Amino acid sequence: MRERGADHQLRVDWPACQARGVCFELLPELIELDDWGYPVVGGPVTPELLTAARAAVHGCPRMALRLLPG
Amino acid sequence: MTAVLGPLGVRVERGPAVLAAADDGPSLAAHRATHGELPGVALTPLLADLERVGLRGRGGAGFPFGRKLETAAKGRGRPTVVVNLSEGEPASAKDATLAMVAPHLVLDGALAAARVLGAREVHVVVPEADLQVRAAVEQALGERPRDRVRHVVHRADESFVAGQVNAVLELMAGRPNRPVTAWEPAAVSGHRGRPTLVSNGETYAQLGLLVLRGVRDHLSRGTTDEPGTTLLTLHDDGGKRVVEVAFGTPWKALLDPASLDRPVLIGGYHGTWAEAGRLRELTVSRSGLAEADLTLGAGVVLVPDGCPLWFARSVTTYLAAQSAGRCGPCRNGLPAVAEAFTRVVDGVGGLAELERLCGLVERRGACAHPDGTARMVRSALARFPEEVQRHTRGGCSEGGRPRA
Repeated sequence: MRERGADHQLRVDWPACQARGVCFELLPELIELDDWGYPVVGGPVTPELLTAARAAVHGCPRMALRLLPG
Repeated sequence: MTAVLGPLGVRVERGPAVLAAADDGPSLAAHRATHGELPGVALTPLLADLERVGLRGRGGAGFPFGRKLETAAKGRGRPTVVVNLSEGEPASAKDATLAMVAPHLVLDGALAAARVLGAREVHVVVPEADLQVRAAVEQALGERPRDRVRHVVHRADESFVAGQVNAVLELMAGRPNRPVTAWEPAAVSGHRGRPTLVSNGETYAQLGLLVLRGVRDHLSRGTTDEPGTTLLTLHDDGGKRVVEVAFGTPWKALLDPASLDRPVLIGGYHGTWAEAGRLRELTVSRSGLAEADLTLGAGVVLVPDGCPLWFARSVTTYLAAQSAGRCGPCRNGLPAVAEAFTRVVDGVGGLAELERLCGLVERRGACAHPDGTARMVRSALARFPEEVQRHTRGGCSEGGRPRA
């Protein structure tokens, strides 16, 4: 696991995303929803949000969210 | 300047390099008579030559072609070469022109790339709807002798985003010709997960000429900083024409005085706007245009008749309809942007809402279609603040609709 260095980034697979909103439920610190219910990612994933970010990635019913090393 | 037989409705003028032999016709015999046989090439010297001439792709970012080639060469698995002639931008006709007047220059460039990469296949993507281009490519491929490198032709949909690199890879994989998310660049992992060199027709034509004629010939044109030539599709009072010009050519040598005094959209529907008169001081140069916050992109230059905001709004409506509909922010956002823009142009909507919606589509799609659309809208708002104000008060300097 590479935990040091730059923060991780959340990336959305936009064609896969169907605005279910689970990521917003699990990671409201970093994710807002736009006018149509699609996620707006607020910024890089800081170490303290990493666990919640992983939960959001695993919780997405469309598997449309990925956590990439920064 | 001599007129050449190009795509229907497009005037093609003979140029200094890739369009230099355009008068001789598109046959392989004429091509070989001018340029001779394709010499053998090796990767390392070719990369050095590409570095010296600074050949770049014709997307918005103008990515260095040599770096793409090097990435594909160093990747895992046997690379594939793709010549993308799909030209989804309806205002562009440069690749259609090349397919019709200099197809063997394009194919020689692709073959040279395939040979240095050890690729066995060159995929040629043609526009399904353009029968002239399809026929020209079929004719040219039929003339070429058998080679270890095989050609495969694909037909791209008639849509703005069909030519986007990941949409092209989808087409080649037998899936719908629409963009998908790429987690790695095509040069790293593209067709069948192998390194895939995808570029437009013009870039392969420039590569072909470089290999056939040598680096010194290429460096003899253009400027020290930007050697070589580029193709432009100009739309002004003279109609639609494709010209090849050396980098460093002043715009005032290309457009008539009346066009220079009008707002100009550079780079196509995803491009940026230049104010009236702005191009008088500028040259055809990537760095020079970048300093003026302009990008050459695929080289489309539009001089609309009438109000630039009206034209920009029409383009936005078209682009919204061209969303492939796969990504939520694009599918929902672009029509909202177009609607908000219409309200601004009609003097019944807020600018802030339009700008907010532009922000909601940027960097939120599998391809750059939403980004390019937002860029063109933002540029129109930034370059024509007085016109925007006039519209806010229900006016228009041109009296509303564009002149017929």
